[in-house]
Amino acid sequence: MALWENILMALSGLKANKMRAFLTMLGIIIGIGSVIAISTLGSIMEKSVTDIFNSQGGSNLVGFSITLKEDAARDYIYDDDFITADMIRDISEKFAEDIDAVSLSAGSADGKMNIRRKEYDVAVYGVNHGYIKQSMTGVIAGRYISEKDCEQIRNVCVISDKQAQKLFGSERNAIGKTISVNLTFGYSMDLTVVGIYEYQLTGIMSSMVNMMGEDWNNEIYMPYTTFNRTMGTNEDTFYYFNLNTNSGVDAKAFCEKVSNYLNNTYYRDNDSVEIYYQTAESQMEMINEVLGILQLAISVIAGISLLVGGIGVMNIMLVSVTERTREIGVRKAMGAPNSAIRMQFIIESVIICLIGGAVGILFGIALGNIAGVIVGTMAPPTIGSIVLAVGFSMAIGIFFGYYPANRAAKLDPIEALRYE
Amino acid sequence: MTNNNAYNIYKYAPPPKEAAEYIICVKDIVKSFYIGTPNELEILHKMSFNVPKGEFVSVVGQSGSGKSTLMNIIGALDRPTSGKYYLNGVDVSNAGDRMLSSIRNRQIGFVFQNFNLIARTSALKNIELPLLYAGISAKERRERANELLEIVEMSDRASHMPNELSGGQKQRIAIARAMANDPDIILADEPTGALDSKTGRLVMDLFHKLHKEKGKTIILITHNQELARETDRIITISDGNIIGDTGNRSASAPADIQKEGDV
Repeated sequence: MALWENILMALSGLKANKMRAFLTMLGIIIGIGSVIAISTLGSIMEKSVTDIFNSQGGSNLVGFSITLKEDAARDYIYDDDFITADMIRDISEKFAEDIDAVSLSAGSADGKMNIRRKEYDVAVYGVNHGYIKQSMTGVIAGRYISEKDCEQIRNVCVISDKQAQKLFGSERNAIGKTISVNLTFGYSMDLTVVGIYEYQLTGIMSSMVNMMGEDWNNEIYMPYTTFNRTMGTNEDTFYYFNLNTNSGVDAKAFCEKVSNYLNNTYYRDNDSVEIYYQTAESQMEMINEVLGILQLAISVIAGISLLVGGIGVMNIMLVSVTERTREIGVRKAMGAPNSAIRMQFIIESVIICLIGGAVGILFGIALGNIAGVIVGTMAPPTIGSIVLAVGFSMAIGIFFGYYPANRAAKLDPIEALRYE
Repeated sequence: MTNNNAYNIYKYAPPPKEAAEYIICVKDIVKSFYIGTPNELEILHKMSFNVPKGEFVSVVGQSGSGKSTLMNIIGALDRPTSGKYYLNGVDVSNAGDRMLSSIRNRQIGFVFQNFNLIARTSALKNIELPLLYAGISAKERRERANELLEIVEMSDRASHMPNELSGGQKQRIAIARAMANDPDIILADEPTGALDSKTGRLVMDLFHKLHKEKGKTIILITHNQELARETDRIITISDGNIIGDTGNRSASAPADIQKEGDV
């Protein structure tokens, strides 16, 4: 008997019981929908993280920080333990051929900026010239903080294009202007604008901004030396520093080399503190691992909902078989072999699951992309996940339809015809 | 079919001579239920009879007499516990589901008391059902079903659903369906039982037409002695035995039949 006839028969059967068919499909819709939504969301997250990763220098970015040893004699860090500017100068000369840029940050401070009797919130960052490499920004006018700025402790700064437009009308106008900043701790300073960076937020960041309705484009960069002096610190020491290696350098081996050198040269006699390193790659792996676990966990839940959906399909198919006992008897009397009856009910079950699966796929894509809009990155679901979803819903249809269908096929035609 | 024939020849005793002569040959059929349990029940006791091709036979008997059980076996819906049933000369007493369903599909047309049309399915589609299981193409099915609708004078009701038809109309659709694969035998189980006498008459006339014009072998199961008297022959069953069998070809002698038929 033709497959097409079975499909038509199943569809007309479903049409006769629309509400029931819909409720039965709901389990499959939710199950398949969440699988697709998760895989869509998964690729969105991955894309977002990868974007950030690459904008910060990708696998070239490594970080060094001081940390307490496992067998530390004390459980706190002295000022003397910090990384000094000299150490950094030392390694940037010693490993010059491997290093693209060293990025230093002396920290940040919140403050207010007065322009034309209006107050603007700002966050001031004390950085060096290499910091641009991992700040996800590019200079579009003027220049970034230079090595000389830091050495000579100049009162200069780099502001965003958005700030420049807001404060001075245009980017070009802003260069050379002086802004005065009052930090929350009571320090104040006058800074000359030497450059404009392009303000941009990617991925998860911009979504947070959107969600909180807060404008974050208030970052001002200045030389770390100037920042430290303003804050009353004469020593330029660091808890950590990042650097970008030249491409082609094995980040892990390089880190091992640098941290060994630093530990042997500067921390040999330190009983409690040593240099510890981290590569962006290893952090990325960690993030991906967490994402993977999250995806797996939700997939398990989706799998359970599919199982429940499948049991729902089986239940309704059993009801359908019982309801149509007489029809089955008639079909057998008209010459339907057991196999045709079995096929009829399996196809009906598969149709329920396939329609549910198709609706679920659409539902999942919609859901995944709503999340994508919030996160700020769109990603289509993978073809693989759709094929998998369709295949899976068919498999559910066959698996959970087989038992009821087999029961229908095995009915005694005489009993079935007599059934009231 | 031929395979099964060969099978019988080699494995069992050859069929009796009458198996080849008659369309239906029932030989010492026993049907028992609850076999192997204390309440084992023998419904048919070594029943034997033959039906020649083209005969219009009625089977009468009270409920519980075993006539339904006999009809289920003749209709290939059930198998005898012992004994032989030859259909068109072929032993089908031990046939499996594939063969039995094929027999029901092509050699037997069922007409039921309660019509048994499939709900939410048009008259035309109902008639197409046996053709569907015979693997006939959609176009041919449609053509054949329309022809059959004409025979039962229901062409104007082709797209009607069963619940939009009267009892008589339903039964005519059911008869058209029974005729779909042009079977040799029509097995009608109380076909007028759910109809008033006027529509019952129309249905009976249709059976007579099919008998005379198409040469169908018709087996009519009924309580109604008057209807039974219209047929060529009445087989009367009681308690699992044939207690009366008349090769009555002169339907004009109701008194004689009364004697034979009344139990």
